[in-house]
Amino acid sequence: MKKIIKKQSSNGNLEEEVFPEITSVKISGSVIERFFEEVSSLTIFALRFFKEIVKPPFEFNEMLKQSFQIGYRSLPLVGITGFIIGLVLTIQSRPTLAKFGAESWLPAMVAVSIIREIIPVITALIFAGKVGSGIGAELASMNVTEQIDAMKVSCTNPFKYLVVTRVLSATLMLPLLVVFADIIGLLGAFVGVNLKGSVSSYLFFSQIFQSLEFIDIFPAFIKTFFFGFAIGIIGSYKGYNSYKGTEGVGKAANSSVVFGSLMVFIIDMIAVQITSFFQN
Amino acid sequence: MKKDTSKKIRLGIFISLGITVFILGIYFVGERQQLFRSTFRINGIFRDVAGLQIGSNVRFSGINVGTVNNISIVSDTSVRVEILIDESTRKFIKKDALASIGSEGLMGNKILIINPGTGGKMEIENNDIVGTVQPINMDDIMLSLKKTIDNTSNITTNLSSITGNIQSGKGTIGRLLMDHSLAQNFDSSIVNLKLGLSGLRNLMDDTKISFANNFDSTFVNLKEGSAGFKILMKKAKDSWLLWGF
Repeated sequence: MKKIIKKQSSNGNLEEEVFPEITSVKISGSVIERFFEEVSSLTIFALRFFKEIVKPPFEFNEMLKQSFQIGYRSLPLVGITGFIIGLVLTIQSRPTLAKFGAESWLPAMVAVSIIREIIPVITALIFAGKVGSGIGAELASMNVTEQIDAMKVSCTNPFKYLVVTRVLSATLMLPLLVVFADIIGLLGAFVGVNLKGSVSSYLFFSQIFQSLEFIDIFPAFIKTFFFGFAIGIIGSYKGYNSYKGTEGVGKAANSSVVFGSLMVFIIDMIAVQITSFFQN
Repeated sequence: MKKDTSKKIRLGIFISLGITVFILGIYFVGERQQLFRSTFRINGIFRDVAGLQIGSNVRFSGINVGTVNNISIVSDTSVRVEILIDESTRKFIKKDALASIGSEGLMGNKILIINPGTGGKMEIENNDIVGTVQPINMDDIMLSLKKTIDNTSNITTNLSSITGNIQSGKGTIGRLLMDHSLAQNFDSSIVNLKLGLSGLRNLMDDTKISFANNFDSTFVNLKEGSAGFKILMKKAKDSWLLWGF
């Protein structure tokens, strides 16, 4: 269907402009174009982050403030989630192991699952939901209310002050939160093991450390830096480049969570491939 | 300002605690792999390591005392296993110690087991080569199991033919169990035996009475004889011919 728009020409006459038919192929083409445009903008944004991070002045106080908000304030949420995951995973795994008469393997199995995969990914998703959306919404509302423009005018580098501090805090705080969530998750598993049995805390943690190896801990820990960076940079990018208007704030918060979570899974998949390459 | 300080303190505690927990975790895992302990190295040459891996536990008297540090192929028939053992257990492991490969439970990982050796020998030294016991290969077990299964199959086939024969009344046991005439004969035999036994009993009773009577008369005769003999002896004693005896 052709679209006809009437507009006034420079001499005052009404002219009809005919737009070509919009086909589904063209729509998808535009989506792909937009996707690649977004990827390139995000890459440039991330490169700018690395450029700005090494350039003084360093906004150390702002980074501490953001670390407090992003890290410390997320601890209760992450802790509760970790505890529940440990507890539920233990309760759910017990019947299957009991079928093989291998209930004594429960602590080892739960510990490896929790530390290698479940806690890092779930914590990152929770982090994307809480922190990613927070960064996106905060920066978008600053953009909408022209605070970012005001900072530019007052010779303050808004990228350095707002983006670098937040991304850096997210990158550094997520691994710490994962460490806490791991410990709380293992405590949850200990409670789960003792709901239908009796295992002393010494034996429980001894079995866990017997089953764990560095290959279980380090890749899981290292990938959380990438999770944190991805969530921070996507949240900042979406907020910093949001549309003007209240709708833009909502969109920025929403897309920060969606793309942040998606990136967590993509990074996780790549990390698993790299880990298994080294393991074999 | 005061609020900011409080926030900084809380953040500081959060970060320090997180890093401490992480380092402790690393320490405990490293401790298990003997990273922070004094260790010594021994080697074992195996023909087949049966799936033993680098990092596998080494057990001595059921206690984890070390880990497998390296596994390398030396030739087409031998694999060198480098073992790191806790220094404190060195005094218990002798020169003639033997290393064997076992597994943790039925489905568990492979482990290396050190048998201590005889008491009189010297302690093992760093980089010594210990004797090895070749592991039982799963394929060998399966082969042996197959033989057992084949034998069992033959036994069950034979058993099946035996039970078939019994059911069709062939052979001694078959006839015994399945032939009704045999049972009838057996019944009649029992009746006859019963009658025979009853006759025997009567006979025995009769015999018993006559025997008792004869026995009594024998005793009476014997009594009379011994009385006569007594008189005769007395007369002989009084006679002058046998005087003095």
